[in-house]
Amino acid sequence: MSALELRGVSKVYGDGPTEVHALRNVDLSVEAGMLVAVMGPSGSGKSTLLTIAGSLEVPTSGEVLVDGVPVANMSRNDRARLRRRSIGYVFQDFNLLAGLTSVENVALPLELDGVTAKKARVAGMHALEELGIGDRASHFPDELSGGERQRVAIARAVVGDRHLLLADEPSGALDSVNAEAVIRLVRAACQRGVAGVIVTHDAQLASWADRVVFLRDGRIVDQTMPPPGPESLLSPGATS
Amino acid sequence: MSLALEERPSVLESGGNGGGPARRAIYLWAWRLFRREWRQQVLVLALVALAVAATVVGVAFGYNAAHSADSTFGAANSLMTFDGSGRADVTAARQAFGTIEEIAHTSIAIPGSLDKVDVRAQDPNGKFGHPMLRLVTGRYPTGAGEIALTRAAATSFNVQVGGRLVDNGHARTVVGLVENPFDLNDNFALVAPGQITSPTQVTILFNASPQKVMDFRPTGNATGIGTRGALNQTAAAAAILAVETISLLFVGLVSAAGFAVMAQRRLRALGMLGALGATDRHVRLAMVANGVVAGVVGSVIGAVVGLMSWIVLAPQIEKLAKHRIDVFHLPWWAIGMAVALAVLTAVAAAWWPARSAARASIVTALSGRPAPPKPAHRFAGAGGVMLLAGFACLAFADRTKPNAYLIIAGTVTTTFGMLFLGPLFIRAIAVVGRRAPIALRLALRDLARYQARSAAALGAISLALAIAATVAVSAAALAAPRSTANLPTNEILVYLDNSNNAVFVEGAAGVPVRTAAQTQAVQTKVGALAATLHAVAIPLTQAVNPASGTFSLDQSGPRGSGLSIRHKGPASASSSAGGIDVKVPVQLARVTTIHRGGHTGIELTGTVPLYIATPALLRHYGINTTDINANTDIVTARTDTKGLVVTAPRGGPAAPRGPYEWQPTIQLAKLPTYTSDPGTLLTTHALRAFGLKPISAGWLIQTPHPLTASQINTAQRAASGAGIAIATHRGEASYAKLRNGATAIGILVALGILAMTVGLIRSETANDLRTLAATGATSTTRRTLTGATAGALALLGALLGTGGAYLALIAWHRSDLHPLTHVPIANLVVIIVGLPLIAVTAGWLLAGREPSTIAHQPLD
Amino acid sequence: MSVRHALLALLSEGPKYGLQLRQEFEARTGEVWPLNVGQVYTTLRRLERDGLVESDDDGTEEGPQRGFHITPEGEAELATWLRTPPDMTSPPRDELVIKVLVALALPGVDVRDVVQVHRRYVVELMQQWTRLKEDAPEHDVGFLLVVDAELFRLDSVIRWLDAADGRLARLAADAKDAPEPAPAPSLSPRLRRRVGMRR
Repeated sequence: MSALELRGVSKVYGDGPTEVHALRNVDLSVEAGMLVAVMGPSGSGKSTLLTIAGSLEVPTSGEVLVDGVPVANMSRNDRARLRRRSIGYVFQDFNLLAGLTSVENVALPLELDGVTAKKARVAGMHALEELGIGDRASHFPDELSGGERQRVAIARAVVGDRHLLLADEPSGALDSVNAEAVIRLVRAACQRGVAGVIVTHDAQLASWADRVVFLRDGRIVDQTMPPPGPESLLSPGATS
Repeated sequence: MSLALEERPSVLESGGNGGGPARRAIYLWAWRLFRREWRQQVLVLALVALAVAATVVGVAFGYNAAHSADSTFGAANSLMTFDGSGRADVTAARQAFGTIEEIAHTSIAIPGSLDKVDVRAQDPNGKFGHPMLRLVTGRYPTGAGEIALTRAAATSFNVQVGGRLVDNGHARTVVGLVENPFDLNDNFALVAPGQITSPTQVTILFNASPQKVMDFRPTGNATGIGTRGALNQTAAAAAILAVETISLLFVGLVSAAGFAVMAQRRLRALGMLGALGATDRHVRLAMVANGVVAGVVGSVIGAVVGLMSWIVLAPQIEKLAKHRIDVFHLPWWAIGMAVALAVLTAVAAAWWPARSAARASIVTALSGRPAPPKPAHRFAGAGGVMLLAGFACLAFADRTKPNAYLIIAGTVTTTFGMLFLGPLFIRAIAVVGRRAPIALRLALRDLARYQARSAAALGAISLALAIAATVAVSAAALAAPRSTANLPTNEILVYLDNSNNAVFVEGAAGVPVRTAAQTQAVQTKVGALAATLHAVAIPLTQAVNPASGTFSLDQSGPRGSGLSIRHKGPASASSSAGGIDVKVPVQLARVTTIHRGGHTGIELTGTVPLYIATPALLRHYGINTTDINANTDIVTARTDTKGLVVTAPRGGPAAPRGPYEWQPTIQLAKLPTYTSDPGTLLTTHALRAFGLKPISAGWLIQTPHPLTASQINTAQRAASGAGIAIATHRGEASYAKLRNGATAIGILVALGILAMTVGLIRSETANDLRTLAATGATSTTRRTLTGATAGALALLGALLGTGGAYLALIAWHRSDLHPLTHVPIANLVVIIVGLPLIAVTAGWLLAGREPSTIAHQPLD
Repeated sequence: MSVRHALLALLSEGPKYGLQLRQEFEARTGEVWPLNVGQVYTTLRRLERDGLVESDDDGTEEGPQRGFHITPEGEAELATWLRTPPDMTSPPRDELVIKVLVALALPGVDVRDVVQVHRRYVVELMQQWTRLKEDAPEHDVGFLLVVDAELFRLDSVIRWLDAADGRLARLAADAKDAPEPAPAPSLSPRLRRRVGMRR
């Protein structure tokens, strides 16, 4: 069973002459422990794909299954619960709620799900420490650097039993060193069994994925083959 | 990482919403946001606090200003007054009613004056009477040679505490100053109980059912029987209700305006919350929690400020109300209710934008795009309907017999109607500004684009200005001549009546029947009063139909409210057991036959009192007797007498109900048009023709110069001792003050709301401003933007507010629009022209500095 | 990559034996550029001839035991080299560019598909490099830098492909809007000459 499966998903915005096809008949399946990157230029429908996968939006047609359960039949409240329990988001810039400290931000999805504040805090601390920013736990978002903010966002996305991590240009606003640190954390989460989807137009970011899917005009046009072992690169003369 | 999983309560499996921990987290977030952004909410808080404070003061005033029957009843619900010979009745009353408290009265003449001061033998700790006494200084009299005085009495006798008061050879030491805390005008002397051996009058206070009181038949001469009415409390309750309603409307609109902007500012954060898995309810809760915090903080501050203001204002109000005010004698329930309702209103106002925020798509919210405004015409339809309904309520509320609930319903509906019509006007102004320069165009377009917040702001501004305009217009209408009972500044009208509340029988003020000797005694006093004012008193007579007979009034003391009227038949006896006898004079009235519940009756409307055109009165008005036609029945300056007839009540068990009627011949003459002036005169010809008899009704005193306040005061004191009542000119200076005060406060409040909304809108459009600055716009553009936003809101608010106020007043005054022709032009110009100018100027000046928030997204 | 200057750089740290030089070279470049012993000694001989390095003994014995140290002339040469920018003025020969240009000229070939094929290939390549980077120990800075260089180079190829794709997409959209056929894209003579300048 895939952690996330999209079957024939299409999304149309507007109607009549202003109709925009953001997605056309997209199929995508992400297994647990896999990191899939969706690459494409602006306007190719990457972000829509992510919001539909995360049940923030409803597809015009097609089916979305999270853990094999179709999302379409769920009520608004059930979808909210699904997001609390199974799905973690990381966005490009606006990620954390001002007014809550790092650890409170991380603990928020658990608390929204009814975990007591104390236990949620413990879980949040644990997640922050795993990402190496336990010492920033009681700082407010505006006291954190961009890289730290994204780490807190990732901690929040994987805290508890979340096993579907959706990231939209998670390193878009960061320099390359911080960007690499962030994607390494995403990668590490996937190696612990989380299914990850990142949408990006950055090839370096995408190259961290197990599989790269190419989106063009709302359609999946291509994807990479599972990569061969890296040894092939080290034979003499492989590169100039 | 999965350690939290086991902690989740399994009951939530079926689609719960996180329960307590989730709410806790949301509250925490809302509270932190409030703490971070309280500066943005300061104006909302201040305005909510202002409304609550005004409510507290208004409620306290309404509750305490009304004259309390405690001044005559004390703690009792009934009283009876007997003359000095009524000992047997007192004993009978004690048997009939159980515990009674007896207060004996006599009087001491003021040396060199006709006036006397009432002396009471009353126990300061009496079961019923104790609230009527308060010690100012010294102590209460205890022995035979002791007396206490009110301050006014002490002044009259020219004695001080410790001095001696000699009356008829009987000397008493003044041991203290006392007062009737419920009536500071009550002027008396107090001696210990049992110290008046031969009272002129005995009052008994007791608790009994009205039926028992009516059944009690005194043997001697009872001059008054009264049961405490509930009129004052009802009026106070209605006033309190009205004040609270208006204040809540205001709180609601202001908070709605504030929270609509707040919700827009927090849109992305709310979207993020949704993306994290918060349910719609959580998202709403986040905003509503803010409403609770703002409502509670604002209301509590407001209540405290209001109470403090009340404590400061109370002594002033004591002077106005003429009774002591215990500053903590307050309708706590009403104040508590006002605070609670203000919180609820703020919450409701936060709930509305929260609802739309929760309903909005998370993706849209995350991107910070506002929801597209709903079409204005949909609101406009509802607004128009509500506006009409509100006007209908006001029109049906009937000015002559006000129905508090209809007035309140009408006010509320009208306000909501205006609120709903707001978007239409905002759209209209954006259309008007389509060809304006870029900054102006942008400002007006933004108002239309962010309709939710600008409409709420417009509503609040309109309401504040509507209140100001209503007060200004009403004050102008009140001050208009002819609109209310009024006299020239140099006239005193003396009524033969010892009650301020004139007794009305079938629509006419009853004239007490006095014997010739009694009338002569009063005549002497009035003559003396006129002499002190260097004037003459012109006797006024009215006419009665001898066949109408006498009405006996069971009157409940000097200012009682319970009253029963018994017809005594044509054969009039002078004051008999159980009340005051009055005759009902003929008057001009429109007689309509009405059918109600199977009964047929008559209704008298548009009544005009008639005075007999005595030669003295005609001379006073400068009219020659020869100028009056021989067949003229009535001389008047009024032109609205068409359809009116001369009526006299018939009454009595023998005669069927309904008046005698005569069709008069009316002649116009140059007579005064002040409504209280005896300006409509019945000629002696009519007297003869209709077979009417004259009856002494009062005096008209005209002084050479306008009366001073102290003269009026002297006259009032003289009148209160003489069984007469006086009426004098009621000034309009206070109305002008009221008008200008209301205008100023309305404008200040409107500016406060403007500052709040424009400030919030501006901080939110910081991005636009940055872009503008980047494209080379100077600070002038920024100034124009802010000034135009503020000015447009102010102008629309002023137009809607005054327009709405005028329409509502027209509906209210529909039966007689005459008072509305007196337009307070200066005030309206200040509101409609001045306020927008101030708003533009303030916006222009304050927008000069670059906002500090310009570099940052508010919530990143 | 100049082996000559790499050896000079290693010797600038202190005298080293020939074998040691080879091992350190490979270690520092992350074993991406393998070097054989012969290459090392040929280069060392040339350096000695130019007076940039000197051998420790009489210079007769060949073998791993022979030590070398850098001369002041050698250090000067190294310093000059470090600060001399490589020649980047003329475009390198790039087969990918040629292929896309050819595809553009050929009728019946979907250029965007060609672009995508290359894009996928390059991304796959990058995935392999990234995998290497992921597994590399963090202190191995030299290796990480080399991998980064490779990734950035490949990334630039992807960016060029993306830009080409974007241009072609717009061209297609314009062609759809404007009914007359767009003129066949061709290189300007000047650019053709420069692309033709091989190195």
